[in-house]
Amino acid sequence: MRNALLINYAYCTGCHTCEVACQKEKGLGPEQFGIKLTQIGPDQIEERKWQYEFVPVPTDRCDRCVERTESGKQPSCVKHCQAGCMYAGPLNDLVPLMADGKYALFT
Amino acid sequence: MTGQKQSSDSGGKEVKAIKNATATAHVKCEVDENGRPITADDPSGRKWTWEEDGYTVFRGNARTAPGCHDNCGVLMYVKDGKLVKVEGDTENPYNQGRLCLRCLTVPDVIYHPDRILHPMKRAREDRGKDAWERITWEEAFDLCEAGLREIQRKYGPEALYVACGTGRDVILYENIFKALMGTPNSGMAFFPGQSCYLPRTFSTNLKGGALFISDYSQYFADRYDHPGWMPPEYVLVWGNNPVVANSDGSLGHWIVECMKRGSKLVTIDPKLTWCAAHSEYWLQVRPGTDTALALAIGHVIVDEGLYDHEFVENWTFGFEDYAASVAEWTPERAAAICEIDEDLIWSVARAIGKAECWTLQWGVALDHTSEGFYTGMAAYDLVGLTGMFDHPGGMVAGLAPFNCGIGWMPSFEDMAWIPQDPNMKPPITYENLVGLNMMGMADSTAILEGMERNDPYSIKAVWFFATNPITNEGARPDRILKVLQEVSEFNVVQDLWMTPTAMACCDVFLPVATYPERVGVAGHQPYLTGSITQAIEPLGEVKSDNEIVVEMGRRFHGEEVCPWKTDEEYYDFLLANCGSGWTYKQLRERTWAVPKVEYYRYKTGKLRADGQPGFNTVTGMYEFTPVALGSMGVPTTATFVEPVESPVSSPELFEQYPLILTTGARNWGFFHSEGRQIPHLRRIQPMPHCRLHPNDAKKYGIEDGDWIVIENTHGSCRQIAEVTPRIKEGVVSADHGWWFPERGADDGTYFGVMECNINKLLSTTPGTVGLGNSFKSQLCRVSKYEG
Ligand code: SF4
Ligand code: SF4
Ligand code: SF4
Repeated sequence: MRNALLINYAYCTGCHTCEVACQKEKGLGPEQFGIKLTQIGPDQIEERKWQYEFVPVPTDRCDRCVERTESGKQPSCVKHCQAGCMYAGPLNDLVPLMADGKYALFT
Repeated sequence: MTGQKQSSDSGGKEVKAIKNATATAHVKCEVDENGRPITADDPSGRKWTWEEDGYTVFRGNARTAPGCHDNCGVLMYVKDGKLVKVEGDTENPYNQGRLCLRCLTVPDVIYHPDRILHPMKRAREDRGKDAWERITWEEAFDLCEAGLREIQRKYGPEALYVACGTGRDVILYENIFKALMGTPNSGMAFFPGQSCYLPRTFSTNLKGGALFISDYSQYFADRYDHPGWMPPEYVLVWGNNPVVANSDGSLGHWIVECMKRGSKLVTIDPKLTWCAAHSEYWLQVRPGTDTALALAIGHVIVDEGLYDHEFVENWTFGFEDYAASVAEWTPERAAAICEIDEDLIWSVARAIGKAECWTLQWGVALDHTSEGFYTGMAAYDLVGLTGMFDHPGGMVAGLAPFNCGIGWMPSFEDMAWIPQDPNMKPPITYENLVGLNMMGMADSTAILEGMERNDPYSIKAVWFFATNPITNEGARPDRILKVLQEVSEFNVVQDLWMTPTAMACCDVFLPVATYPERVGVAGHQPYLTGSITQAIEPLGEVKSDNEIVVEMGRRFHGEEVCPWKTDEEYYDFLLANCGSGWTYKQLRERTWAVPKVEYYRYKTGKLRADGQPGFNTVTGMYEFTPVALGSMGVPTTATFVEPVESPVSSPELFEQYPLILTTGARNWGFFHSEGRQIPHLRRIQPMPHCRLHPNDAKKYGIEDGDWIVIENTHGSCRQIAEVTPRIKEGVVSADHGWWFPERGADDGTYFGVMECNINKLLSTTPGTVGLGNSFKSQLCRVSKYEG
């Protein structure tokens, strides 16, 4: 089974670095994505509580950076993620990482 | 930048303090028994270059071009002499392997077809036309020398304006270039009130005697694991969006790491930013009212006795006067001015008053108001009240590491090698701008107006360093364009691109190198010094910014003053001259060096060159009421002054222009006016946007995506409406720095620069002391653009 990608989107700032890191790693054009940001909100949930968050979603162009991983490197998006909120690896290794936070898991 | 020497007599202390305040003290470099600087990082086993998977990898620090305030550790992958990719350096403590989208696209900058790779000239009468002619460097330098000599002969060397931008390291050598050219007139190009960091750092240096910077553990090689470091209990994100802006040498995402370790945020911003949405308290203030808020927070902390009594009693000066000055600033009063709920002020004051540690992540919004000088002071006094100086998770003094000046702005002593004319005229300024005048700085509005009036002593030539003022930071670009085209007799630009400023105004274009194409010293930060490591041969004929500086110095002062034949020799000299203990190659070998930084240096005498405990101020204390300010004849405590144009100060104007205009916020991928040519960056935001609240949009018949006209008494422009509840009702937030390089050079619009240029709506009148200008609190109205 291919590696999974885990995003702790409580910390994703929507910085677009993962998108561009992937485009550069995979030689994709500016409108082609191996991973693409989605935005939640801005939504005023309560008087003083807003949800304004981002979740990057891998596309079918994403091969989990198989070549990099085989030579012992992290996927480019994971390595460069500005918030350090992305994790890649076998599903079973990632599941225990989900403690505090808000997680999106892509298998 | 002067050293930290205190004069032994008391006279002159205030003047010294003022001079000190323009910069940060050098503190003596600690060396080991072999005379090598003592560092906190261990470089053993660290390589600066190696082979990997068919690439040659070069390790370095990213700085610059392209522009950035940071210097992340990079690995540059080179194949067949070409830079194929840039990755983050996991071992570098600064960025720990991460890299933002701008460094990831550096190869696209280097190999971009629009990049200028050869020197060029253009006849003065052809300014504005695409009539450039390729020339050799010899001819380019000859032209620059002849042009400046002619100006000197006709008007004196002071008629040259060394106009700088931000974020490229050459601007940090501004003092050297202007000294070599014999002019006192320099500064950020046509940027009234020098409204970026300087208003804050000047006023607060008078208070604390150093530049204090938020402690996100970046002072330590072992970062978040450093024994004794604490994550700030609260980070007060005040007037900036740090995760996008990365301003002032702080990587915004360090804050996210602190959040993972328990830090909570307070965000003061008229816009719901990511930080605001993730804050315990978000204070959506009316732009330009920050001083009132700071005074009210101080009021509560004093009133409820939440201040650090030990610190205030033993280490501060002027507390009674400060307490008296905030007495009338009740949260009720400030809340009405700031247009926020009063209880938020109480809550924030109590939160930071009771916190074990908190830090002030302040931003340029504090400078972007006419009285920015005082706004910074008011915010800083909260740090003083709570004793957060040199405190873990507080604000740590940024001293020049290894004697290397922060920002490499050398001390006057360090510039003794440049002959100076004792009869040099003073900088162009206005008499009432006492702060600027005491710092010996020119006023950009006085420069602009002097050129418009054709004053006998006014600017006749401009040298542009890393700046594109008619696009980016110049207030009233329409007026700037006119004087540059019609009054200035000689304009030279050092840049990578044919910018609107270069296209419209310049006579000579000098193409410069990006960081992978050159050597240099990076880490203009108090927490790291390092090398800019060359990975590839410069493209075409580009030269480093500093090679140009040295050659111009040689042309005017000869080999004796500027003997260096290579950049490496020049950096060896600069590094030795300041007593750093490094040569360039030694620095490159280890790529970065982290100084040893301790907390509470005001207690141990390590903030002052005389070794005495205390702060590097006139009284040796943290000065709530700076003695030096008193000697300047201006108020020593902050008071809130309404922006010059506001619903309160100009109600009649407000009737016609019922919205508050704020500008200058950063967008992902762009560094000010940079990045518009890079497809992977431009994709994120292809066109200029102005954010307005849904209720305002409805009121003025505007829908999301409409082109709108934004106008006021100063000027007008058009941008695309982004209708969003993120922005405060009654406020519009417009993009800056836009131009359209894809349009080509010959349609006469200078890449469309004036069409969307929000700076046409700005005022050019700096505040009381000459520092700070209203970039974030103008009035305007909006309407649908009918084309
Ligand atoms: S794992 Fe690799 S391929 Fe997949 S999104 Fe990240 S960078 Fe792209
Ligand atoms: S790089 Fe990280 S923080 Fe940035 S958008 Fe992607 S997941 Fe979010
Ligand atoms: S913050 Fe600056 S130095 Fe760091 S990766 Fe981004 S552009 Fe490069």
